[in-house]
Amino acid sequence: MKEQKRSLLRNNAVQSLMASLLCILIGLLVGYVVLLLINPAGASEAIVTIVKNFMTYSRRNAQLKYLGSTLVKTAPLLMCSLSVLFAYKVGLFNIGAAGQYVVGAGASLYCALAWNMPWYVCLLAAIVAGAALGAVSGLLKAYCNVNEVISCIMLNWISLYMVNTLLTQVKEETSPYTLTLSSTNPGALLPALPSFCMSWFNNNQYVTIAIPLSVLVAVAIWVLLEKTKLGYELKATGCNKFAAKYCGMRENKNLILTMAIAGALAGMGAAMLFLTGFEQWQCTQSSVPGMGFNGIAAAFLGGLNPLGSILSSYFIQHITNGGAYVDKTMYSAQISDFISALIIYLCGFVLFFKFALNNWLNRWDEKKAAKAAESEEKGGKAE
Amino acid sequence: MEQTYAIEMLNITKRFPGIVANDNITLQLKKGEIHALLGENGAGKSTLMSVLFGLYRPEEGVIKKDGQVVEIKDPNDANALGIGMVHQHFKLVECFTVLDNIIMGVEPCKHGFLQKAEAREKVMALSEKYGLHVDPDALVEDITVGMQQRTEILKMLYRDNEILIFDEPTAVLTPQEIEELMQIMRNLAAEGKSILFISHKLNEIMAVADRCSVLRKGKYIGTVDIKDTTREELSRMMVGRDVEFVVHKEPARPGKTILEVEDMTVASKSHSNNAVKNVSFNVRAGEIVCIAGIDGNGQTELVYGLTGLEPLKGGKITLEGQDITRAPIRKRNTMGVSHIPEDRHKHGLVLDYTLEDNMVLQRYFEPEFVSKAGFLKRKAIRDYAERLIGQYDVRSGQGPVTIARSMSGGNQQKAIVAREIDKDPELLIAVQPTRGLDVGAIEYIHKQIVAQRDAGKGVLLVSLELDEVMALSDRILVMYEGEIVGELDPKTTTVEELGLYMAGAKREGA
Amino acid sequence: MILLLQYTLIFASVLVLVALGGCFSEHSGVINIGLEGIMVMGALGGALMMKFLPDSTPAFLMILLVVLAAILLGMIYSLLLAVAAINFKADQTLVGTAMNLLGTAAATVFVKAMNTAESVDNVSSTIQYINAKKAFLVNIVGFEFNWFMLMALIALVVSYVVLYKTRFGLRLMACGEHPQAADSVGINVYKMRYAGVLISGLLGGLGGIVYITAGVSEWKFENGVAGFGFLALAVMIFGQWKPTRIALAALLFGFFRALGNVYTGFAFLKAMNLPSSVYNMLPYIISLIVLAFTSKKSRAPKAEGIPYDKGQR
Repeated sequence: MKEQKRSLLRNNAVQSLMASLLCILIGLLVGYVVLLLINPAGASEAIVTIVKNFMTYSRRNAQLKYLGSTLVKTAPLLMCSLSVLFAYKVGLFNIGAAGQYVVGAGASLYCALAWNMPWYVCLLAAIVAGAALGAVSGLLKAYCNVNEVISCIMLNWISLYMVNTLLTQVKEETSPYTLTLSSTNPGALLPALPSFCMSWFNNNQYVTIAIPLSVLVAVAIWVLLEKTKLGYELKATGCNKFAAKYCGMRENKNLILTMAIAGALAGMGAAMLFLTGFEQWQCTQSSVPGMGFNGIAAAFLGGLNPLGSILSSYFIQHITNGGAYVDKTMYSAQISDFISALIIYLCGFVLFFKFALNNWLNRWDEKKAAKAAESEEKGGKAE
Repeated sequence: MEQTYAIEMLNITKRFPGIVANDNITLQLKKGEIHALLGENGAGKSTLMSVLFGLYRPEEGVIKKDGQVVEIKDPNDANALGIGMVHQHFKLVECFTVLDNIIMGVEPCKHGFLQKAEAREKVMALSEKYGLHVDPDALVEDITVGMQQRTEILKMLYRDNEILIFDEPTAVLTPQEIEELMQIMRNLAAEGKSILFISHKLNEIMAVADRCSVLRKGKYIGTVDIKDTTREELSRMMVGRDVEFVVHKEPARPGKTILEVEDMTVASKSHSNNAVKNVSFNVRAGEIVCIAGIDGNGQTELVYGLTGLEPLKGGKITLEGQDITRAPIRKRNTMGVSHIPEDRHKHGLVLDYTLEDNMVLQRYFEPEFVSKAGFLKRKAIRDYAERLIGQYDVRSGQGPVTIARSMSGGNQQKAIVAREIDKDPELLIAVQPTRGLDVGAIEYIHKQIVAQRDAGKGVLLVSLELDEVMALSDRILVMYEGEIVGELDPKTTTVEELGLYMAGAKREGA
Repeated sequence: MILLLQYTLIFASVLVLVALGGCFSEHSGVINIGLEGIMVMGALGGALMMKFLPDSTPAFLMILLVVLAAILLGMIYSLLLAVAAINFKADQTLVGTAMNLLGTAAATVFVKAMNTAESVDNVSSTIQYINAKKAFLVNIVGFEFNWFMLMALIALVVSYVVLYKTRFGLRLMACGEHPQAADSVGINVYKMRYAGVLISGLLGGLGGIVYITAGVSEWKFENGVAGFGFLALAVMIFGQWKPTRIALAALLFGFFRALGNVYTGFAFLKAMNLPSSVYNMLPYIISLIVLAFTSKKSRAPKAEGIPYDKGQR
């Protein structure tokens, strides 16, 4: 019985799950402490609100509707987290998911609003733009030895200003926001789900095929990494580039390809949000949208597994949305950002956690083996 | 009258799981002598020095300094006792100047500010006294390996160390630099320093040492006075009279030429000299050609050049009549080159992959294992891995899905051997295929290599173990300082003669 | 023209301070991607001090206390990196990224809570310091001299001396280049790395307060420091981890950043009629191009980013 439990503890997936849950727990706990420090009176209620998110509504219909809204934003987050984890599997830290997301938004909105393209062209444009930006980082790394983290950050800001300029051409006259798709080009809106599905979300108009599509992409990425030749090569390069070279894989090609795919994922994620009409682009925004950075949190919290990412992305978005419901007279919505940033930080300790756990298990086993050998020896002598 | 020794290591025994690295070894270093410590790779020399340096605690035995028992718990204790060491891989900060490296850790300071003028005076004085010519303001990355080594020596002298350990100091030096080093060592000894000189180059030991202690397979063989001994005797002590491994094999029947290497030159990563200099040789079908030599004489780079891991600086490689000098690695692999790499963790395996995924590392792209759409055929991979595991007796916790990292070294190596041999190569390049393995595994791998030869393949074996060289090879090429200094026939040569070639004491045509 | 010079110098001061911070951390062997977060924290500390000190505080005391607050908060915050990277051998990029996000989020939460507590209607994340800021400025015939410029200069000189003339500097750099060699001569690598990270916290925190007082009199903490920490990293790489070259690189980058603030004052630039975002992008584009050409022969400390494990000799 005990034996079984320990071998379960040795399972990598179980360890990842435990580590992630621990990160969430500590993250929420510290968040709670911060709330207590700010104002003890409402802290418990606030943390419960964050965790409950749309469940704070008492009417079932409202709950369904806002579940829908959470999912609408989960889709792009999931795409960003896939982008981060895909690159990480090949040994690259794609902090540029944020910028790739930005150019994805720019490309899709510009195609939709300036050229009146149908949604699938806009989606494709976002994918291509993201991939191109990712490939730039890959090229810089492969041929100029520029650290991908630094180049990605620079590109994040460059893309932000570029997209701001580009989309200013299609913004409303009186506000800094881009024109709405529904009034300008409804054909660019992503198709809604079949009507029986829509009723699950109380006909939330922003619920589109983006949601199932993002899950499909997650599965596809999982398949790509686990089941295909390409995934086999890319992961080998990430785990041991010397062995990859030894058996004839081409490092530079893999590097650029990886960043392009990662960029495509993030770009596609942006289209999945902006082509629903849920949000318009604010052409005066002065900071890179947090979606790409939250993607890092989701990727690591999901144990760097595409399927785990589905859950973790939902969780991160869930508490982010939940943050919007806290009592504004006491706390700010950014408490959720704070908690997710804390969770990323804690994810840094996961490797150490696993290492310590395995060490502990090994020592345990050794002790037991020694005991067994001892008793055997005694038994042997007795005979 | 009892002789007083500068340092004594008495009856030292150090065990590691499954192996006795030092078995009751005694080493006594007289004051002012140059004492050589001789032994093959894996004889236990580095373990013994690690014990002296406080990196390992021995299970049995004591260390005495000037007749007093001392305890050495960590390298700082060793430093405090005046023990200094020039490591085989220098511990120098490359972007610092020579002077900075020398004073690092014991910097002369006033209120935290470095007093370099003071330090420079002392260094220059030492440098003059012992004939250690260095440029104190040059950056370490710009100076020759010889000067780097002199920097390391000055580091010890600057700390007023009395006992100086040189770990394989000549491995990376040119002959002129070696001659210089010998002179420096004599000067140091004359000034009363005691020197421990770890080496397996016999003529250097004969040239410079006063006494020599020999280790073999973790055991103490004996200590001799150099003036009463010969190279041949030392060689015999180092290698042992009896060949431990008897490999049953028929005489070779060499066929057509498989590999032809002409004037191959490969640059070195660690020093400015070329690691491989104008080497030419060939390997024919049905023979085992062995590259023998002491570690660091260009064997690694030679193999990198052959397999494509390093570009050639010059020369030409032909495989079965086709020029592969500039062919990419994948091309060479598919053309029939198999490579059992020297470092199984760095090159041979993706440690975080499962055993089955490692088994197909050289073949995953073949139609047998991947569909046209790019999907891996998991079932085919599993079946293939299971067949190899059964056929080559690779043992692991969970069979094909075991993570390679969790397997024992012997079984990891068996997996690589299985993978490379099963590829059915024309040329098998095996680099130290039995390093760090137990007797059973060694025997098994030797049999496989001979079987390849008998199947008409060309085999190029690189080994540091004399036993292995003698037992397996049909032809021996000895490498010394990046060149092939001799071609020997194992049937007519002796271990002693081979040892002389490896140590650079003898070369063809000289 | 004087305005351009003034902005160039003040932005260069920020970049010099933060880049030197990164320089110390990386010379000790720890990559500090989290400088951005450290800057935010330093800025927060300084801004709070300015907000709460009475306007009648003597200028000298004001400067001293504000700087101390910024430095202290920056250092405390940098401990997050030190503990994770040095003791727990965490992925330094991941931890640094988390610190950037955490810094902005924490500062926002804190400032908003503070503002809301003062007046229920105020949900902004802005701190004002119009009057307090005056303590830092001296008007010299139209040129607004900022004491922070002097501090940056002092930091530059001190950094140079510490790195190249003291025992501490020698040992610090040894830990970033070849920790095994440092260890073999009895240097405590862990301690030196802690020192490196803490100094980067000090300089990063100081840089933060300089940045938010450059040209503006209030700061919205939701915006963080707009990638300035990363620009500083680019300056550090372009400066090849050497203080003097970092100073030159900082002047160059500071100039392009300043252009964004003052380009409307130049007739010919205005005549070109480029959108303002071009000027905003300029520093990032320049740094990317510069990096592309200088990274190949990078002189980065060799052991940076690799956790040191005493066991693996």
